[in-house]
Amino acid sequence: MAAKPALPGRQRRRLRASRLTQYALVQVLIAIACVFVLHQSLPQPPAGYLVNAFNTKEGGTERGVTLPHYTSSRFSMNDPPLYSGQFVWSSSEAQRAWSVYLPRFNNGVEVAVNGVVILDSRRDPAANRPDRNAPEIAVIPASLLHEGENNLAVRLFVWGPLTGFLDSIYAGPDPVLRPYYEQRTLVFVTLPVVFSAWQAILAVILTIMWAVRRHEPAYGLLAAAMTLGVAQAFLPTAADQSQYSRLNAILITSAPLESGFVLTFAMLFLGGRWPRYGALIFAPGLLLVAVGLFGDQALISEFFLFVGVPTIGLYLVLLALIVARSVLKRHDVASFVLGCAVTIVLSCWIRDMLSVLQIAPDGRIFVARLSYSALLVAIGAGLTWRFARALNQVDGFAARLVTQVRQAEDKLKASFAREEERARAAALALERTRLMRDLHDGLGGQLVSIVALSERGEAGAPIGEAARAALKDLRLVIDSMDDIGGDLMLALGSWRERATAQLRPHDIALDWRAVSPQGLPVYPELRPWHVIQIVRLLDEALTNAVKHARARRIMVTIETLTDASGVYGCISVEDDGNGFALTGDGAAAALGQKAARGLRNMRSRAARCGAVLDLVSTAGGTRVRLTLPRRFPDSDAAGA
Amino acid sequence: MTELSDERPSQAITVLLVEDDAPTSWRLQDALAKAGFQVTAAATLAEARACLTESGPKVLLTDLQLPDGHGVELIRETRRRFPATEIMVISILGDEESVISAITVGATGYLLKDAFPTDIAATVHELVAGHSPISASIARFIVRRTQNHPEPAPGPVLDTVRLTPREIDILWGIAKGFSYAEIAGHLGLSRQTVPGHIKNIYRKLEVHTRGEAVFEALQQGLIRL
Repeated sequence: MAAKPALPGRQRRRLRASRLTQYALVQVLIAIACVFVLHQSLPQPPAGYLVNAFNTKEGGTERGVTLPHYTSSRFSMNDPPLYSGQFVWSSSEAQRAWSVYLPRFNNGVEVAVNGVVILDSRRDPAANRPDRNAPEIAVIPASLLHEGENNLAVRLFVWGPLTGFLDSIYAGPDPVLRPYYEQRTLVFVTLPVVFSAWQAILAVILTIMWAVRRHEPAYGLLAAAMTLGVAQAFLPTAADQSQYSRLNAILITSAPLESGFVLTFAMLFLGGRWPRYGALIFAPGLLLVAVGLFGDQALISEFFLFVGVPTIGLYLVLLALIVARSVLKRHDVASFVLGCAVTIVLSCWIRDMLSVLQIAPDGRIFVARLSYSALLVAIGAGLTWRFARALNQVDGFAARLVTQVRQAEDKLKASFAREEERARAAALALERTRLMRDLHDGLGGQLVSIVALSERGEAGAPIGEAARAALKDLRLVIDSMDDIGGDLMLALGSWRERATAQLRPHDIALDWRAVSPQGLPVYPELRPWHVIQIVRLLDEALTNAVKHARARRIMVTIETLTDASGVYGCISVEDDGNGFALTGDGAAAALGQKAARGLRNMRSRAARCGAVLDLVSTAGGTRVRLTLPRRFPDSDAAGA
Repeated sequence: MTELSDERPSQAITVLLVEDDAPTSWRLQDALAKAGFQVTAAATLAEARACLTESGPKVLLTDLQLPDGHGVELIRETRRRFPATEIMVISILGDEESVISAITVGATGYLLKDAFPTDIAATVHELVAGHSPISASIARFIVRRTQNHPEPAPGPVLDTVRLTPREIDILWGIAKGFSYAEIAGHLGLSRQTVPGHIKNIYRKLEVHTRGEAVFEALQQGLIRL
């Protein structure tokens, strides 16, 4: 019962109480509305055509009665009471046909005018059902009528389960009476047929639903209830002993079974559990079936009246309680609509009972069966509502699924790319480790030996220098293979060390100026070959300054610049040497082929990285300014 | 084994040089002897161990690839027996594989084999003075290990959890090529305290192992021969 565990007990109880009061209030209003609507009597033909003063002959005694009249016996097939009365007809009415209109009777009538039988309702199956309120109308053949008083004799056949009843009779012009007859037929005959058709459709839908969703027996139970209801509505009453009379009797008295099905459906549908002795719910219905199989007509009627009808009432009350509980627990639209429908049916049932017991005689108009259609409509609406909601949920679920799948795909793609990147980096690192070990063990050691040996003899200096340069280059190649995560500063850090070591014997000072603490922006797309090009370019600039410009001081400036298109890095190498002319054939020619080639190399290296090289050389020094791109190219620009 | 001087001047700093390549060994000996160090040279692990019998040298300079074993074993032994000895590894390329391996067993610096004689002497002097040299690439290797990667990168195993954020900042500065003075300026430190921090970093990266088996296992992971 803990619908909202978050709320403290007292608050929850108060909330439940207020909700219960609201619901009860609504149901009371509905019941009052029912009483009010049912109290509206159906329109009656003009009182001038009313024939209600009769002499009745019943069981040998004759007395005057005024219609409507209730008989005392429940069975009068052998000796039906005979009602005799008169109505006045004048020959001035000859141009229009006259009819006898019987709004309501129980169970069958035989109408005779001036001794000639013009109507026997027992031939009309729809009229034979005491619960159907079927009216009858019969045109009086003109030849039977004569000026003045005419005799009207009505024989009332009663075969239970109720006592006989004969409402006021009208004899008058057919055009006047027929509209009233049609009105009653529409309400009490046609409308139930429409609802029965609706019920039949529901039965089919529910059967299919149950067949497809076997794990939801609620639909099966409701399908059974609907099927029984349809069978009841369309089978004729067994007034005569037909071949299938017993089957008919069983089906017609199956209302308790039907109500049992509806009750169990509600229990399961509204989230309840199957009670321990749930099968007992079907006991009264099955008892009636048994009686229908073995008992006679009278017994069936007796059982139906004294067992079946109270059972239906009891189940209606239980249904109302179950639905009310569901409304309190779940307060959803479906339960609420169902609850209102149950209240309507229950109100009508109570009114019918009052009518049957003649506590509140109301012309023997039974409305319970008719009001059952309200329940059918509610059930149909509830199912549709549930179906639509399930569809929405499916849509929402599908949409969510699509989003989730897309997210997962994106995540997978990202993780795949990351994985690829990591694998690439790992492969590179492994390769680097392997290469380093190989170089360390072989080439590196040999170069070191060359350096050491060259230092022992005076003539070995150039050899030693070459070997040292080879070692330096080896370190550069290995260093640039390291994954520096796009931070070019890490490569420049190593370069500074090597440059310092290179400049120390020449007594050249290296000024290192990182304008901003982080130095250069991070380039995620930076690859080892970019690093090698940049570092070699810087090496070239350094070598030029040392060898050709005879500088005493070299300044390296590293800065991050910002312009409209974003941030980019800039590395400058400046020396205080004597410089060289770049164009013309003056100083550049004197510089020699080697330096010229070095300059060309630097330009080509810059171009391959998408960087811009600026070279300014004056007598006061040379400045090499390398402007890095916003983004390093993926492929070698010079190769393309 | 070459004894350069039998008589030890009281201020002379004793250096044990372990290097199997003869020209390189001579070169280093020359450079150190000229600077006033008292150098004992050994060409193999066995010779080096023989030199370590009584008392430890002030400085141990060792190559890693030795004909009869690995320099890491020598560093580890020396570190255990003579804690006061400063240990430096001689590396051809100054690569992290050899240098880090040496650091994890107790070395506090490295020397490039082709360094100029003046640089060699200066580096050893600085080491004795408490300044542990560190290269940008070594610093880079260490700080990249402090970043959390799901998979360990190839190379020596390195435990960096004990490094403080300040020490990691210093390593970043070195990796990016900043001088000690610049790093001190950026971090609001005194320039003189930076070498001390670097020595601390080396000490923290040293792996202290008790059992031989653990050491063997570690060595398997650390050194790939």
